[in-house]
Amino acid sequence: MPDSMFLTFVLALPFAGCLVAGFLPANTRNVEAWLAGAVALAGLILAGALYPAVTGGAMIRTEVEWLPALGLNLTLRMDGFAWMFTVLITGIGLLVTLYARYYMSPEDPVTRFFSYLLGFMGSMLGIVLSGNLIQLVFFWELTSIFSFLLIGYWHHSAKARDGARMALTVTASGGLCLLVGVLIVGHIVGSYDLDRVLVSGNQIRSHDLYLPALLLILLGALTKSAQFPFHFWLPQAMAAPTPVSAYLHSATMVKAGVFLLVRLWPAMGGTDAWFWIVGTAGLITFALGAYLAIFQQDLKGVLANSTISHLGLITLLIGLDSPLGIVAAIFHMMNHATFKASLFMAAGIIDHETGTRDIRRLSGLYRLMPITATLAMVAAAAMAGVPLLNGFLSKEMFFAETVAEHVDSILDDALPYVVTLAAMFSVTYSLRFIHGVFFGPPPTDLPRQPPPLPSWMVVPVALLVSACLLVGIFPAATAGPFLDTAVRAVLGSDVPPYSLKVWHGITVPLLMSLAALTGGVLLYRALRGYLSSGAEGSPGLGRLDSQRIFDWSMVFLSWRAAKTGVDLLGTRRLQPQIRLVVGAAFVAALWTLYRHGPHNGLHYGLHAGHAESSAFDPVLALVLVWLAGVWLAGAACAVGAAYQAKYHRLAALILMGGAGLAVCITFAWYSAPDLALTQLLVEIVTTVLILLGLRWLPKRFETIDVENYRVATSWFRRGGDLAIAAAAGLGLSAVAYAVMTRSAPDSISRFFLERAYTEGGGTNVVNVILVDFRGFDTLGEITVLGAVALTVYALLRRFRPAPDSIERPEQQIRESERDDALPDGQSGVALADSLLVPGLIMRLLYPVIMTVAVYLFMRGHDLPGGGFVAGLTMSVAFILQYMAGGTRWVEARLTILPVRWIALGLLFAAFTGIGSWLYGYPFLTSYFRYEDLPLIGTVPLASAVVFDLGVFTLVVGATVLILIALAHQSIRTHRPAKADVPAPIAAPAPALAQAEGQ
Amino acid sequence: MTDGTDLPAWAAILTALFVVAGAGLTLIGSLGLLRLGSFYQRLHAPTLGTTLGTGGILIGSMIFFSALGTRPVLHEILIAVFVTVTTPVTFILLVRATRQRGTDLPPPSPPEKNTKDLAH
Repeated sequence: MPDSMFLTFVLALPFAGCLVAGFLPANTRNVEAWLAGAVALAGLILAGALYPAVTGGAMIRTEVEWLPALGLNLTLRMDGFAWMFTVLITGIGLLVTLYARYYMSPEDPVTRFFSYLLGFMGSMLGIVLSGNLIQLVFFWELTSIFSFLLIGYWHHSAKARDGARMALTVTASGGLCLLVGVLIVGHIVGSYDLDRVLVSGNQIRSHDLYLPALLLILLGALTKSAQFPFHFWLPQAMAAPTPVSAYLHSATMVKAGVFLLVRLWPAMGGTDAWFWIVGTAGLITFALGAYLAIFQQDLKGVLANSTISHLGLITLLIGLDSPLGIVAAIFHMMNHATFKASLFMAAGIIDHETGTRDIRRLSGLYRLMPITATLAMVAAAAMAGVPLLNGFLSKEMFFAETVAEHVDSILDDALPYVVTLAAMFSVTYSLRFIHGVFFGPPPTDLPRQPPPLPSWMVVPVALLVSACLLVGIFPAATAGPFLDTAVRAVLGSDVPPYSLKVWHGITVPLLMSLAALTGGVLLYRALRGYLSSGAEGSPGLGRLDSQRIFDWSMVFLSWRAAKTGVDLLGTRRLQPQIRLVVGAAFVAALWTLYRHGPHNGLHYGLHAGHAESSAFDPVLALVLVWLAGVWLAGAACAVGAAYQAKYHRLAALILMGGAGLAVCITFAWYSAPDLALTQLLVEIVTTVLILLGLRWLPKRFETIDVENYRVATSWFRRGGDLAIAAAAGLGLSAVAYAVMTRSAPDSISRFFLERAYTEGGGTNVVNVILVDFRGFDTLGEITVLGAVALTVYALLRRFRPAPDSIERPEQQIRESERDDALPDGQSGVALADSLLVPGLIMRLLYPVIMTVAVYLFMRGHDLPGGGFVAGLTMSVAFILQYMAGGTRWVEARLTILPVRWIALGLLFAAFTGIGSWLYGYPFLTSYFRYEDLPLIGTVPLASAVVFDLGVFTLVVGATVLILIALAHQSIRTHRPAKADVPAPIAAPAPALAQAEGQ
Repeated sequence: MTDGTDLPAWAAILTALFVVAGAGLTLIGSLGLLRLGSFYQRLHAPTLGTTLGTGGILIGSMIFFSALGTRPVLHEILIAVFVTVTTPVTFILLVRATRQRGTDLPPPSPPEKNTKDLAH
């Protein structure tokens, strides 16, 4: 079906463009603009081609199965309403691109800008084209993120950062609420499919969970559309470049909220709760936004508050819960998008030309930019609702709807008066926008004289304004069919009769319009003096500042509440933390035993199984005696480590290594050479890394707090700790004993043993499992490993040691003392001296260890070895170099780029997986055969080897990255404090000066 | 496990001799580590195990596997080389550390402020 393919293209193109734009070189303004424009134009053309398929209530639907078992599929669905939005998004996107080409300065990194803009376009299209609610929420959050990135585009400005953060906090939290609400709806209906949800309206409305679901979804929609009390983020978002404001914060993204309301109205609307919540929020926002807009001094501030107000108007229409209201809402969405986008662009032109957006400083610009002024005047008139413009038509429908009787209540009775008042305000601010900027005496204190305007910059504005005019004069011929298509998609067959005419005769709505117009003009005349006096902010609303409430709650949550939480629950000492962890683990295990114990006849409880007893074998007995010795030694090491842990960390660490070796020998004996090898290397590497980190641990409290010291409490605490430790240890031993004394259940291991060679081409079952059978798990694990390494690096990069470990260790102090004692005391001689022979041997072993790593890697598929072990071996080689020569020495000679190793490893692994797609197999299918190589002979060649290479590379990168992060600590913090060193550099200076003087 | 029953008698005797000798020497070395008086004396004892002891066991292993003909004897040579090369490193580092701390030798060590454990 070509239609469904077109639909996929409409969504996929912007994202593809986003990627391409992101990788283009910087300062390619024209290429970027062409690309973005082409993408938008292609979307627009595709939408045009799809129009016949969506008229008359028809729709296109395409579905890609993803998780059908969970009802999660990629469903694209375009009906008339979605089509209207697609055209708005791509069409205004095209104009904004053209506008941005001239608006953005050549110094701006436009790569980022256009990439984000295209990404946003794709996300927004994703919202309107989603046929699955979860998918819709996904794109919903994506638009929040792109909006965040675009608001913060000029991230050097604090205002942009704050605005971006606030917008993200508000809209993304709303999105999370929306997600929960959608999940509840999915639970009620039994499907996330939009079509199923839309026909299950009665089921949803009569369900007990209707109200919570409604509230959560409304939270999502109202935050996105900047409705009271969440309206405050939108004016802050004006720190974004003006094309972004025109596109996201007036024409498209903020419409997502009202889009969702209209979309879900058939399923969720029609109740009192809907009327009251949505209607009230809309009414308050409509009036409040208009009132606030009057008193703004920033052009964009006026427009932002006016956008809030108009979105409130749309929300109110939706809240009125009548089909005619929905018609008017959809019509006003179209109209508002056209006139508000053009007004934003005009404001951007003024800013671009004069360098300021402050209405107090601007005046008489008509003389300087007549075309822009004319266009802005027409658009502002549409915003005010002047006849013969599109804004008038939808506003008249709106007035008619408010006059009509809905739910019999005070709200309904007061509605016509309140909205007339608010409409009056909107006339006032429109008038102020025009009169304050374009009329009056010529401007005197402009930051710069207007340069000639690039004529292409006006074209988008002109196009939008002519759309306003055309729709306003010939509504039925221009917007009529599209509006009908959109409305039919939402309301289905019961579309109420409505008429798109300029002249309906003398009606109540017309009188309301006239009242608003005259009232607005009069109000402006009355307020002119006050407004030009230069006062900031709106009178009477000083205490109702939701932005301040937001700031306060942010500070409260992220600082005070967090601090209180840490004070209450956190501790800097390790002992309480470990007590808590071990105690919790013990209680959890005990609880499980208790639950399964008595009633289940102890079947899953703790009791020894019946191991098969075999005949007595003297050799085996001897070996067991020997192994018992190893285990005793291991246990002694472990107990010793615990005993020494508090006061002698080094000794404890070495003893832990001993316990690890005992484990390693046990593995080797019980036919797990792979595990033994891995255990050995992990043991070595972790011991070395912890040794390196040991120095930065805080010192123990040397003195005992004598005043608060009570022998009894101390004994009580220690006894308690001992009891907890013993209980947890013995419990774990008991569980282990119970598990090991029964025969293993017949699990999946037999399958692996049988298939490893026949299907994986390797005799080392462990390795075949890792790189082939369970390759996807391994991919996930190495990803985690890489992330962990990066996290360690990031944490240590800004790490500052505790005050008590800043001082240099005693060994180093002694070394430098010996250096100083030497006749020609250079620093580092003593160290180099004492490491002369060991360092040489370690350096010589470097290639040898690498060879071993390669060897382990090559044989991994058939014999113990493999990428992980080889990677660890390789990193041991690097660690030895750092130990032998010191950080500076190594890094002067070796360039190791561990982050690239990590990236390369992930890419290797992922591309091996993707490679199997080329042959039509699922992700990470492995391929193997035997190949004769000259000199070496027959070798198995499996594609899994490449995957294993990825594992190897990543392990090397991750380990070395952690090592380097630790090693750099020693360089960074070792700068001797100034007081310590008697200024060796400064000393010769006087002598030099004397020499020069002579 | 390789079955040792096919082993000819001479090889079995030789293997046993070398392995027991190597193990015995290592044991003596370990005892010495336990019993000897000063640090430097103790340092000498385990070298018995890392040189002669390891050597004996490795020769035993070479004879055993060569006589069985299971594989060439290269591994043991490599083990011997690596043990010989790497164990001195440990001892050198130990001796250097001790000399620096100056616990056993009088001068030329700096004045000792305290005798804290290494861990601090």
